[in-house]
Amino acid sequence: MGCAGSAIRYPNSRAVQKFETMSAIERTIKAALLIQRWYRRYRARLEIRRRCYWTIFQSIEYAGEQDQIRLYSFFTDLMTHIACDKSSFSNSIANSLRGRPRILAEIEEEERELWKETNPNLIPIESTYQGPHIHLPLTADQVTLLINSFRKRKLLHAHYVLTLLHEARKILQSKPNINVASTTLSRHITICGDLHGKLDDLLTIFYKNSLPASDNPYIFNGDFVDRGVQSVEVFLLLIACLLVWPDRVFLNRGNHEDFSVNIRYGFIKEIMYKYTRHATRIIQVTEDVYSWLPLATIIDNKVFVVHGGVTDRTDLKKISRMDRHQLITILQPPMIDGKMTCDQEEWDQVVGILWSDPRPQPGCHTNSIRGGGSFFGPDVTEAFLQRYQLERIIRSHECKPDGFEFTHGDRVLTIFSASNYYAEGTNKAAYVKLVGTNLVTQIVMYVSSSHTSNAEIQQRQGYVEQSALRELKQLIYASHLLLIEKFHMEDTEQSGKICIGRWCDIMKEVVGLQLPWRLLCPKIAKLDPLSGNVYYESIFQEYTIQNKLAEQNEPSLLETLYRSKDTLETIFRFIDTDGSGLISMQEFTDACQLLSKHLKTSMHQEEIQDLAKSIDINKDGFIDFNEFLEAFRLVDNDSPSRRSGNHVCGLFCQDER
Amino acid sequence: MIKVQSSFESDLQKKIVNAFEIFDQDGTRTVDIREIGTIMRSLGCCLSEADLQDILVELEDEDSPGYVNLETFLPMMTKFLLDQRFHPASSNKLLQAFQMFDADKKGYLTQAELTHFLTQDGECFTQDEMEEMLSAAVDPQSGHINYKEYVSHLVSENL
Repeated sequence: MGCAGSAIRYPNSRAVQKFETMSAIERTIKAALLIQRWYRRYRARLEIRRRCYWTIFQSIEYAGEQDQIRLYSFFTDLMTHIACDKSSFSNSIANSLRGRPRILAEIEEEERELWKETNPNLIPIESTYQGPHIHLPLTADQVTLLINSFRKRKLLHAHYVLTLLHEARKILQSKPNINVASTTLSRHITICGDLHGKLDDLLTIFYKNSLPASDNPYIFNGDFVDRGVQSVEVFLLLIACLLVWPDRVFLNRGNHEDFSVNIRYGFIKEIMYKYTRHATRIIQVTEDVYSWLPLATIIDNKVFVVHGGVTDRTDLKKISRMDRHQLITILQPPMIDGKMTCDQEEWDQVVGILWSDPRPQPGCHTNSIRGGGSFFGPDVTEAFLQRYQLERIIRSHECKPDGFEFTHGDRVLTIFSASNYYAEGTNKAAYVKLVGTNLVTQIVMYVSSSHTSNAEIQQRQGYVEQSALRELKQLIYASHLLLIEKFHMEDTEQSGKICIGRWCDIMKEVVGLQLPWRLLCPKIAKLDPLSGNVYYESIFQEYTIQNKLAEQNEPSLLETLYRSKDTLETIFRFIDTDGSGLISMQEFTDACQLLSKHLKTSMHQEEIQDLAKSIDINKDGFIDFNEFLEAFRLVDNDSPSRRSGNHVCGLFCQDER
Repeated sequence: MIKVQSSFESDLQKKIVNAFEIFDQDGTRTVDIREIGTIMRSLGCCLSEADLQDILVELEDEDSPGYVNLETFLPMMTKFLLDQRFHPASSNKLLQAFQMFDADKKGYLTQAELTHFLTQDGECFTQDEMEEMLSAAVDPQSGHINYKEYVSHLVSENL
């Protein structure tokens, strides 16, 4: 363009150029270098900020998982010690930890029971039903019909849901624990990672890569459900694909194909909300489908596809011989009457492949961050691949900013197919296609919502940061009283300020998250501009627990319950076996007592009863715990207009049926 | 031996450790060597790729190739910052660099011009880097890069 350009552009004509132009070349190069250095510095500063916020989301996610696993191991302890206690409450816990019978007659009996209780014909289709109609044998056209209906937010009738689930059981029962996939005919295969109830992402994959077909095989590598608000639709669509192409669609079990996890992460709630009185039946069959899902898939004897990864103990022979159907939940070893019903080692094998994460450091260690599975190093990967003469591992289980990540010298590929997983703008999603006889890796990235994909990187970052800080501040608020106590101990002069170093220590200790607190400090607290000390009260200013509860109840009890509300919800859902959403006063106080035992904190019986009374609005002796949980939210002090709760964005806010 | 550190120095070290820890997911006090460039630059260093390569050779952990220990990184980085090595050139110099490309003194650069210089000269930008830079640098109205504005954006301490 510019006239200067033509002189500078061609270094090969250098010989004929004069000294001045020579120096112009040098000057241009120098200028380019300067800008490039500056830009890369700028980019790095943005990147470190992005990572900082990523850590918030990730830490909160894994802390939740750890919590759930701890709760279950507490249940297991409880069951092994009080196996004789036959209260309805311990029954439901026992039920969630149960294994399946191993004697043939009992297995058959269980099969008959399941069919009797969940036969689709028990649920007639009303003439007013507006959703899609399907019939067996299922065809590709019907999969398209389902997709179109789900796009329009139509719900599939419970009758059809049960039909699909029962058909899927039949097919899955015939599958081995480790699926075998071949690309001899198709010449390629597509692998998708976690979908987490994000229907848009699944539809994007189908749009870009076409529906499964005899020449278009797919492996879905677990975690189909939870978190996203369309888990029902995602799961049904995958099941439908399995029915139409039973040999070309491979479903691997993930750690979220487990009702003990769903109870906390939304799938159960979604089924209850969408299918109300038929929910229990659907849950019952889905639970059975889960335990029939294969645990891994091997492609062409070369690639091991599994949800989590491997450990130094992973033994494919053991895994392929075990009775996978035993494992209704994977959070704890299955038990009957306080005794484990399966080989502890078999269970351990499955935890290892469904829950583990690769790490750069060599060796195999307990996965201390999630609380389940292992961290496995490059040496563990190498040994595993050598032992089974495989080339690589494709796994999912961890959200990555670009939807994929190579580790262990490219021998391990993480693939994650849910975009905007933590919040709008946090991450891209990806699927991988292995092509040709050498299974060449082709990764396709996508973001299914157009909302932020075109936004400038910094705007997007701003959006992500807001959501991360909101989550973090709510979490901090949950430890309000504990924190204040510590701050006051530190602040002997009652100046309202403490130094940033101590502030970081206290935050880390009380909130329990390993976060770059020092970097986050200016974003969540007010600092004294002179000394740089932290005004510690300032971190609580934005939120309070809803007034109605706060006026009448003991603050420390409220705070404990608020902090553990996810755990409390899990306990509630146990009690509520019929899915009515109602529990009695007695059950409520029992649940709180159980929670206090689990948390090893004392809660006064009277205070709990007062709380129970304050929320039993109709005074009928029953508590609607969905309502209770709803009331148990933080209020944003800044915006009274948003008090209706839409800022906290409950599970179904975006779900317009 | 007791080494008395100035509070300035200990403050610097805290900053370095903080930045390092963001990339040290599991608290093992090591990070992937590919992250070192980001860590150093985020701490304010204006490094060229060539500088970075030299540093990485020195830093790489002999026992686990591909990784860098905090113990090795911290003293080196502290020294760089104290010595003000890789201290960024002034914003004025940065502006002059852009002006150098703007031979006609238009006051702006077209996307093609900037792309040409930065992807073909110096330590060339990859296509990704270039696209990302343009996405923030281009004025949506004119479609050009008003580099004066963009320079203030690049050097701003509050991103």
